[in-house]
Amino acid sequence: MSRSFLFIPGDVPRMIQQLEIFSADSVILDFEDSVATHQKDEARNLVESFLTQHHFTTPAIYVRINATDSDEFIADMQTLKNLPIKGIVLPKASLAAIETVTKHLTLPIIALLETPSGFLSLPDIAQHPSVEGLLLGAEDLAKSLDLERTVSGEEILYFRSQLVLTAKAYHKYAIDTPFTNTTSDIGLLEDIKRSRQLGFDAKAAIHPNHISAINQHFSPSEAAIHEARRIMTIAEKQQSVRFSLDGRMIDKPIIDRAKKTLDLAKRYRLL
Amino acid sequence: MQPIYHSLEALFNDLPLKDGLNISFHHHLRNGDATQNLILSYLRKQQLNDLNLYPSAIFPVHTELLTLLKEGRVKNITTNYINGPVAEFLASNPLPGQLKMQTHGGRARAIIKGETTIDIAFIAAPIVDAQGNAAGYDGPSACGSLGYAIEDSQYAKKTVLITDHRVEKLPQYEIKSKDVDAILCVDSLGNREGIVSGTTAITKDPVGLKIANNAARLIDELKLVKPGMNFQSGAGGISLKVTDHLREMLRARNVKAGFFSGGITQSHVEMLNEGLVERLYDVQCFDLAAIQSLKTNPSHIAISASDYANPDNQNRVIKNLDLVILGATEIDLNFNVNVTTDSYNTIIGGSGGHSDTATDSFVSLIVTPLFKARTPIIKKRVNTITTRGKNIDILVTERGIAINPLRLDLLDRLKESHLPIYPIEALLEKAYAYTGIPQEYDLRDQPLGVVEDRDGQIIDTLYTKKRR
Amino acid sequence: MNNIVVGSLESSDCLMTLSPHESRKITIESIVYDAYYEAIHQAITTLLDEHNLHQVHVLCQDKGALEYTIKARLKTAILRYKEVRS
Repeated sequence: MSRSFLFIPGDVPRMIQQLEIFSADSVILDFEDSVATHQKDEARNLVESFLTQHHFTTPAIYVRINATDSDEFIADMQTLKNLPIKGIVLPKASLAAIETVTKHLTLPIIALLETPSGFLSLPDIAQHPSVEGLLLGAEDLAKSLDLERTVSGEEILYFRSQLVLTAKAYHKYAIDTPFTNTTSDIGLLEDIKRSRQLGFDAKAAIHPNHISAINQHFSPSEAAIHEARRIMTIAEKQQSVRFSLDGRMIDKPIIDRAKKTLDLAKRYRLL
Repeated sequence: MQPIYHSLEALFNDLPLKDGLNISFHHHLRNGDATQNLILSYLRKQQLNDLNLYPSAIFPVHTELLTLLKEGRVKNITTNYINGPVAEFLASNPLPGQLKMQTHGGRARAIIKGETTIDIAFIAAPIVDAQGNAAGYDGPSACGSLGYAIEDSQYAKKTVLITDHRVEKLPQYEIKSKDVDAILCVDSLGNREGIVSGTTAITKDPVGLKIANNAARLIDELKLVKPGMNFQSGAGGISLKVTDHLREMLRARNVKAGFFSGGITQSHVEMLNEGLVERLYDVQCFDLAAIQSLKTNPSHIAISASDYANPDNQNRVIKNLDLVILGATEIDLNFNVNVTTDSYNTIIGGSGGHSDTATDSFVSLIVTPLFKARTPIIKKRVNTITTRGKNIDILVTERGIAINPLRLDLLDRLKESHLPIYPIEALLEKAYAYTGIPQEYDLRDQPLGVVEDRDGQIIDTLYTKKRR
Repeated sequence: MNNIVVGSLESSDCLMTLSPHESRKITIESIVYDAYYEAIHQAITTLLDEHNLHQVHVLCQDKGALEYTIKARLKTAILRYKEVRS
């Protein structure tokens, strides 16, 4: 479980060797759009060399591969075969692409939804056993659909909600698209709050300076932790799954949620 | 009334020009200073030799000094900071005498005690009144405070003001008429862009932000943010970000700090105006906002180097510091800090107020990346000791924090901390995991000079750089 | 045959240039020469041996690259070099 997924270009040593300090729960080393076509081999060898020499428990490491129909795909698979990574991020996700990947690797897949046809087969993608999460790629999707991107993002509301709905229906993680403006702090906060409101579990970022705000907003709030503690204290003391607290009925779903909140708080070292 | 001159020839007709002169300059015009070049080029034309120079700092703009050095006319240099071609020249050309690197407070102390004797102090003065009083906060070459020049004016045998802006009367001034022997009028003291330095941008680099964030959390846990706290930070990008965090903490808790001292920037001024701090004690303005504030805000107070940091001065401001944030080029396992040379024995700066504030402040905190490119910042032994380890309390990096084991009280306060606190040896190991262990090397060649701590004690030796 | 050039002169990176040479020749220009010359030389030699490459001039212009970067840049350069020559 991650709150934040940070994209780092696969060909920039200065960034790669700092990946553990940005507080991102997950890092996505990128072989795709941030690497020029003639430097794909440089990126593969750099990431391979780095991950062979340096091992991490946190953050979790993912690699965004090149599309399955690209010239780079097979070489990407060769490189990732023996690397200790948590999973891969699959661009232009489709059911066919997922099946192609699973012929080469058994790693968990985060499906990057960034094509109209991908969205049309969203439930099929989400149900695939190798898929652990759905990530919205709003920039490419907007291009395909002639959507005009805005800071407030009304134009992608439908896709955000559809992705969250599908992910939750099949118990997969819903990960929101990165906020791509690296100079607007206010825009970033608004965008993160909207992600949270719409039900996303996590958000991707293309700049390390966005991570702390994402982590903060995708963590349980102090008030939520406080309430969860009270609920769990009573539940454990009374050995009961049905009681009243401040005049409110507490039942099993609320207790389960309180437990989840405390688990998350513990994982994120908020206790 | 002092004589006023409009040409160097006329001025020097009345001054005792001779070999072996001791002359001083200040560095408030930083890399925009034209006055040191003006004076030194004249002395060069007069074929003077064996000069002893006491500039408070040397910048890349100081090219005439480089020419004098190349011609072998300079015997000794005593300064607090060197950056640029002069440093590069000294790396392979020792002086006939020696290079002495002092601190801001130590320089004032040595002048007052008479250990430094100055024959002529040349003081670039952005604004001078009819009485011969001078200040720095106004005029076309305004630089703000003239703090580092005040002892020079009081103790030099002759004090010469150099100015490009004269007014009838100054309401407030730092250099007093009674200390001034002559005034030289010139067209311009220097280049505006170079005077107001560009070094004061808050860092946006993610590694720097992480370091500043770690530092802010540590400061919070140490419970240093409290009413009346006195604070200083260097003008480096990471230090400024820590100041920014402090601003948020003061604001959120509705707490007002006592004073901020040292080099003053726009951030400090904004905090003064917002009521987050009582006073600014200013020895050096780093930007236009600071200069403007010094001119207009009575709570923004210019102070001399002695009132700032002279260890013999019982009323020095920094004695009451609770926290100072400083940088480091290197720090060693004994917490000695180097900001004078780089790891490859080239002079890149100097103490300035580093040792002064680290020694006096209740807590001195170093912010630095654990390694820069492949060079680990933690060493077994620093190349040059600028500030002794017993005066450095905390090292904060992006990958962890180390507390000087001498500070049992701080360790005690941090017993329950969740922050990544390690022995400094463990931080070194973390650095080596990335950089690998460096091979042994020794780049010291011939003795070049000494590092003198603020109290006059020689704490290290400087060497020219061995060439491969 | 043109030289093979891999990497960059950005901080923490290195620019690795391979060209044909009658024997193996390694030239290292580095901002951390005094502290890491041996380590850089060792990394280059080991990788050239692994790839059985002897008649080549390796020019490593290093801006403080960590060892994983030196190795990765050289590996990429060697593979490209071999591909061009085959």
